Amino acid sequence: MEGLLTPKKLIIRFVSALIILAAVMFICSFVGTESISLKRIFGPADLQTAVNPDYEIFVHVRLPRIILAAIVGAALACSGVVFQALLRNPLADPYILGISSGAGLGAIIAVLSGLSWTLLGRSPIAVFAFAGALGTVWLVWFIGSLAQKPGTIGLLLAGVVVNAFFSALIMFLISVAKSQQVHATIFWLMGNMAEEDFLVLWLGAGCVTAGILTLFYISPQLNALCFGGDDARSMGVNVAATRTIAFAVAAFITAVAVSLSGLIGFVGLVIPHGVRLALGPDHRQLLPIGAVVGAIFLIIADTLARVVVAPAQLPVGVVTAIVGGPIFLILLIKHCRKVGWSGK
Amino acid sequence: MVRQMSIIEANKLSFAYREAEALRDLSFEVSRGSFLAIAGPNGAGKTTLLNLLCKTLKPKSGSIKIDAVPIESYSTKALAAKVAVVRQEVLPVFGFSVIETVLMARTSHYNQLGFETELDKKIANEALEATDTAQFALRALGSLSGGERQRVFIARAIAQNAPILLLDEPTSFLDLKHQVGIYDLLKTAQLEKGKTILAVTHDINLAAQYCDEILLLGADGNYHIGETKDVLSPEQIKKVFGVKTFVGRLGQEKIFIPLGKFAKGSRLTVVEPDSNKQKNLWHMPP
Repeated sequence: MEGLLTPKKLIIRFVSALIILAAVMFICSFVGTESISLKRIFGPADLQTAVNPDYEIFVHVRLPRIILAAIVGAALACSGVVFQALLRNPLADPYILGISSGAGLGAIIAVLSGLSWTLLGRSPIAVFAFAGALGTVWLVWFIGSLAQKPGTIGLLLAGVVVNAFFSALIMFLISVAKSQQVHATIFWLMGNMAEEDFLVLWLGAGCVTAGILTLFYISPQLNALCFGGDDARSMGVNVAATRTIAFAVAAFITAVAVSLSGLIGFVGLVIPHGVRLALGPDHRQLLPIGAVVGAIFLIIADTLARVVVAPAQLPVGVVTAIVGGPIFLILLIKHCRKVGWSGK
Repeated sequence: MVRQMSIIEANKLSFAYREAEALRDLSFEVSRGSFLAIAGPNGAGKTTLLNLLCKTLKPKSGSIKIDAVPIESYSTKALAAKVAVVRQEVLPVFGFSVIETVLMARTSHYNQLGFETELDKKIANEALEATDTAQFALRALGSLSGGERQRVFIARAIAQNAPILLLDEPTSFLDLKHQVGIYDLLKTAQLEKGKTILAVTHDINLAAQYCDEILLLGADGNYHIGETKDVLSPEQIKKVFGVKTFVGRLGQEKIFIPLGKFAKGSRLTVVEPDSNKQKNLWHMPP
């Protein structure tokens, strides 16, 4: 049975992906408006100012941003994988159940209220976005469970309705806001990376890693769920528990990602499909490999966002959509038939 | 321990969807290692009954015992070790291969890392061999024909190693050859592996050929259970399905042909396969 996924095969692929990730992180940390070199980073400090500018740029500017991109990319890719499996819908992405509009609403409320405190190194925008994201998912889950007990249609419809309603609220708030506030909000809505301090990065990395490990732990059950709840249950899978854990964890890591970097689109849609088309639909592989590929993808996208219109910067969400769209189409055309992915 | 004769006991089962009553006071027993057909008109509650027997639905009243233990006291995993289900045409949204699909039956037996053990692989391979699906083990489920796919789902149910197999219209989308193929497969599983098989079906002729017993559910809540040859009679079929049938005999087997308003008569003519008359009906290429 040479076609089967074995732990050995998975580990080899995962480690290879990690090596590529490390290489990409290394290379991208030397790309930017200021040119820095490895030799100078570890060289002596400037005698007059007692600082090593290359070292400062590398450790306090480039590295944090690259790590942030890796965390957010991994979180969005895994969350996309899980929502596609749970909703049994290839069009699902991390934002499908209203996380985006909930987070956006939270963010714009924070901007308009003009608060200026920080919590664990995060601005009110991030904190409000996080709360808005989780609150919205809970609301959608609640409405969906009222509408139709175990099915996914009720949930999807609830997501669409809540999304539409909150988007309307966002538009309303934007139209009454001052132009400066509007600019800050729009920039956030487009998805944006910034240099974060290491406390934030550690927290984010810890949350997302824990979430992905949890999802990996239930990945055999997610496989069975792709055949629908009834089928999974008759194969001995505890469907309710699996669904609840998967939903909560996927929503949580998405909220973390959104609070770190705003609404970055396309990663959570393109990466799951790309990995699935290349390696098959088994979630035991899809989650770990998808996480690494998502990280790689977002690091490259963010590097492009930093340098393309330098010294200005693009919102990374613009880059992911422009780069991700064509990549996805090529993958789709190349592999769709081979994998029989559409089901027929 | 006294060996239980009945592996399934249903006692005064009732079920209703909101106002619409689907089953009323249904009681029956299924003996271990037998093959039971569940037949009846649309809306008589056949699929509902199947869903009650695998705990997808909970009865409004009444009780079900599997192996003399009430079905409520089984955990999901424990019930999966007793009952395997083949539903109508389920396709996953993503392209799992045949072997991946069959191995999924072993999900609750995977090792700590969430991977198949050697035993799981052996059981899955045996199920593929038994259902003659090993030759397309690596193909995507979506690329198979309906008959092949149905065999894969039966393989998955067999790989679950449960003594009871429930099937919901396993042959409804299949051509004649594949219909017979599926029933041959099920009968083999019954005779060689001692499986207890319950199949919902519309095909009373296949039921008469293959099944030991039949449960005929009427839309009015009446039901009949017994050996197929006793339960299946033109009067019974007229009563339950509301359609007149022609009854013939093929060796030991009774065969039923439904007669509609435009049926051209009820006298069976046995057509010899080699008669000249028969040949002339075919347009032979020159």
